[in-house]
Amino acid sequence: MSPTRTESPREAWARAEALWRERDVRAYAAWRAVDPASPEGREAERRLDAADAIYRSVIARLRAGEPDASAPLAALPGALALAPIDPRLYLPLARALRDHQPSDPVRAARYYLRFLASGPDEDEARAAVREVRALPLDTSPETAASVAATVRAFDATERRDTAREATARAAGPTVTALPAPALLASGVAVGLALAALGGLLVARRPRGTSLERASDEAPELHPAITYLVGGLRHELLKHRIGAASDALAALVRGRATAPQRAFLEGRLFGGEPLLAAWEGHLRAFERALGPRVDLRRRDRAFREAARAIAEIARLEPLLARDPSAAIPRLAQAHARLRAFDDRLAALAARLVRTRVDEALVREVVDAVQSEYSASLVALDELRIDVTEPDLEVEVFRVDLVLILKNLVRNAILAVGREPAPRRLAIGVSVDLEATGEELVRIHVRDSSPETLTADAIRERRADRGLGLVSAALARYDGALSVEPAGDGYAKAVTLRFFRALERPDAPHAAEAT
Amino acid sequence: MTTPLTYPARPVLLVIEDGTEYAEFAQLFLGDAFDIRAARSARDALALLADPGADALLVDLRFDRAPREDLVGDVDDTASRLFGGDRARALRHLQDQQGALVLGALRAAGHTQRAVFVHDFPPRRLANLRALYGEVHAVPSFDASALRAALAGARRPAR
Repeated sequence: MSPTRTESPREAWARAEALWRERDVRAYAAWRAVDPASPEGREAERRLDAADAIYRSVIARLRAGEPDASAPLAALPGALALAPIDPRLYLPLARALRDHQPSDPVRAARYYLRFLASGPDEDEARAAVREVRALPLDTSPETAASVAATVRAFDATERRDTAREATARAAGPTVTALPAPALLASGVAVGLALAALGGLLVARRPRGTSLERASDEAPELHPAITYLVGGLRHELLKHRIGAASDALAALVRGRATAPQRAFLEGRLFGGEPLLAAWEGHLRAFERALGPRVDLRRRDRAFREAARAIAEIARLEPLLARDPSAAIPRLAQAHARLRAFDDRLAALAARLVRTRVDEALVREVVDAVQSEYSASLVALDELRIDVTEPDLEVEVFRVDLVLILKNLVRNAILAVGREPAPRRLAIGVSVDLEATGEELVRIHVRDSSPETLTADAIRERRADRGLGLVSAALARYDGALSVEPAGDGYAKAVTLRFFRALERPDAPHAAEAT
Repeated sequence: MTTPLTYPARPVLLVIEDGTEYAEFAQLFLGDAFDIRAARSARDALALLADPGADALLVDLRFDRAPREDLVGDVDDTASRLFGGDRARALRHLQDQQGALVLGALRAAGHTQRAVFVHDFPPRRLANLRALYGEVHAVPSFDASALRAALAGARRPAR
């Protein structure tokens, strides 16, 4: 290929790495093409060989029939984080999964499709098409559709080729001189068809979004996202990246002591490789949040963080060889990760907070009134009185809605059992405590004289829903009480929370350098 | 150490905490500028404020090692008012926020000295504390120079 001839090994290496980051199937060939006599080429070779050994051992372990395929497969991300996979390995990997993991044909199909997308030679492609077509994919219509589309594309190119050959044959004796370009042309055609299909398949797959967007769209994900973000921040960004800040700052100033340097290297390069740790967190996000979130492709912040992590991992040998070249790049990648951490912190803080306003109360009341039994109750009066501006509590919105729905439902059903007038009022008050904290009380008042005590609620005598409420409240340092209420109401069930006050800002990015 | 018989020349910093860490830190890093006195409860603090008095207060927020009878605030009242009758949570709350409640008790007794907390309060909480208790400062961590700055110029009010 001509570009590699004029490229310096450094340029070739940069291009190869870019392909790898884009998960381009050509990455493997580009890595192998970096001049093996150059330091970059040696580095590429070393990592390719290390990754290759892992891929091959995964295949061997699968063939050996380990009962739980997920154990050998768990090694794949580590290898993928190290270097691109030789696309030729997709076929043995797919076959090993097909033969030894018959309960998961979808996974096998995925590797067959990757193999086909890598532009294999015709005979192997034909075999792969035959094999993937035979997989029982009825449990996954999505995968079955991808396979069907690939098979159709393959058949179409085959037919075209056959037709072309027939035409050529008819044209005369020159045909025999043509097989090589014809084969090449057919290979290109398959490649193009598959590339087009790739686009189709992506469109067909439910599109994931960024983490921030998903959390805007799906409040039910907030607890999971907060948990996952907490794990990522604590284990990786705090203990590995954040902990290295002071040592790195000393290094940047050129005044790092040997123990400081050792500490830095321990945090960044010791133990589980950073890339593998990062990959582990990404997979935890993927497992928990499913396809609606696509951190690898659709989340800019995560993509940039992944690049910074990869950069740090890459700098390990350079730091030993040429510290003055490595340190500024290290500091830059480090600062990017600190900024990423700040962003995650802000997101997590935002998710656990819920604004207490009229919209929230309306949402709750509307939801309850659309339920069958509550919809039968004709309220004579419904008052909603929430006027305090910028009022937030540290409770996940889903949980606060759940709690409030229970209280409102209970009140509506209670007044429904009594003669008119049936009155309900939901209001909020805020009080300053002697500690400087602010108490937020959400009152649900109703006109039903039916007795209800806080103890009854706690002991679940009143209603199973309310038992649930007190459990949820304990998690948030909230409380519930029942009081008599004046103003024509019989009683008030009151939720008490502490007001969420803004946190002092602590931007890491500034302190890192 | 001898107890000075007269009003000491250096300003007095009264440290109020349930342990000894604040006092040790103050002695080490602020001992040159302040005469450090230590109180373990609001009661001790009130006695020291009567004699020898103090120019500033350094107050711990969390008192989880203090005996319960030394805490400002009533567990039962707090439990029924804030925690739906849960006394364990009420006690924890009183411990966690004790410093602010101690300061409230000192203010109620007429002591208006500058008070400094070592705590990263959200700005709104600090504003609330100032609205309640006048001169209140906070430094986010044990940082001698930040503490010095927060205490600079603090003098006991004329009584």
